[in-house]
Amino acid sequence: MTPFFEKALLIAAIGMTGIFLFMVVFYLLILLLERLMPFREEKPEEEFSEERVTEDENL
Amino acid sequence: MGLEQLLPAIAGMTWQHLVMIGVGVLLIYLAIARKYEPTLLLPMGFGAILVNIPLSSALTQIDPATGEAVEGVLNVFFQAGIATEIFPLLIFIAIGAMIDFSPLFRNPSLLLFGAAAQFGIFLTMLFASLLGYDLREAASIGIIGAADGPTSIVVASRFAPSLLGPISVAAYSYMALVPIIQPPVIRMLTSRKERLIRMTGNNSKKISKQALIAFPIVVTIVAGIIAPSSLSLIGFLMFGNLVRECGVLNKLSLSAQNELASLVTLLLGITIASTMTADRFIRVDTLIIIALGLFAFVFDTFGGVIFAKFLNLFRKEGNKFNPMIGACGISAFPMSARVIHQMGQKEDPFNYLLMPAISANVGGQIGSVVAGGIILTLVPFFA
Repeated sequence: MTPFFEKALLIAAIGMTGIFLFMVVFYLLILLLERLMPFREEKPEEEFSEERVTEDENL
Repeated sequence: MGLEQLLPAIAGMTWQHLVMIGVGVLLIYLAIARKYEPTLLLPMGFGAILVNIPLSSALTQIDPATGEAVEGVLNVFFQAGIATEIFPLLIFIAIGAMIDFSPLFRNPSLLLFGAAAQFGIFLTMLFASLLGYDLREAASIGIIGAADGPTSIVVASRFAPSLLGPISVAAYSYMALVPIIQPPVIRMLTSRKERLIRMTGNNSKKISKQALIAFPIVVTIVAGIIAPSSLSLIGFLMFGNLVRECGVLNKLSLSAQNELASLVTLLLGITIASTMTADRFIRVDTLIIIALGLFAFVFDTFGGVIFAKFLNLFRKEGNKFNPMIGACGISAFPMSARVIHQMGQKEDPFNYLLMPAISANVGGQIGSVVAGGIILTLVPFFA
């Protein structure tokens, strides 16, 4: 057993726990973002269609 | 006038230099003939040749006439790009611009595999410390298990610059060898019945643009509050992703994914080679590090698969994870996801694991960066 092993063991325990905690937080963030900003079908904008017409006219 | 004066490089050549030139040629061969991470291994191989010709002007040399140091370009690149961490962090911007987080939004629970599959990092660190490496060196060796070249380079350049060469070679070589390393480990840990499990996810679910834009910003703020020293890693990755998702910087996003990634990778590879000089590389340490790197990749796979099996204990029949998905929690993207999908198809041609595998693999990309950040935070406290 080297003098570093015990410290490495502690880092490993805290490190693995830390990664899981981070991931749980990110998981919750994803759920939150999905709830706050759900997907909505975008309506075709009038400006867009007008632009297309103008472009077509130019052609 | 003797040979020494006429051709000082030949006079100064030792068998160690010749071995290193052989290593350089081998890396170039692997890059070209086997296509093992050619963007990195080819510049590293060529750089290894460049720095192992005695008196190479690519490295800093002492001018015999004046006794002054004449700076070599690779040493200048090293000081400017790697010692300062600029090159790997620029690569993170490029990687961030390449990552699409929407598969994670479709299957967020798979993010957890990105944590479990970092197990190899810490087990390897423990093992390295048992072999007598100090904490900083052991952490730098362990981080090979992040399966993420830039993270390995950032950690190793900060904690053990003298080991940077072998650590980089091991990290990039094993990333290329994922299709060879993972399948036997997975087969050893799973039954055929488990490998046949089909996973039904919400793969066609649409994700709002606003959520994808908000994600990198919120992650950066949260990660910064929890572990500020992880911010350079996570922040640059998320910045690249924001450039991708914002929708108003398409040219910059494409530049980051292509020109920035290519240029910095080129410089990174050849600059890392400046540490691959015979006196630093031909040591027992190099062999030990390369063996420990393999150990780390094997136990990453082990951690992911066993965690999936553990979660299955609590899940209902018909809703279980295919434990092979756990192995995708490493950062090697999309290699690992592709390997698992192919393994699934080999067992059952109608089993499509690609989407959940991609989700877990994206989780692994985040997990490896988080692991790097945590190591950068913790080690100085204990060392």
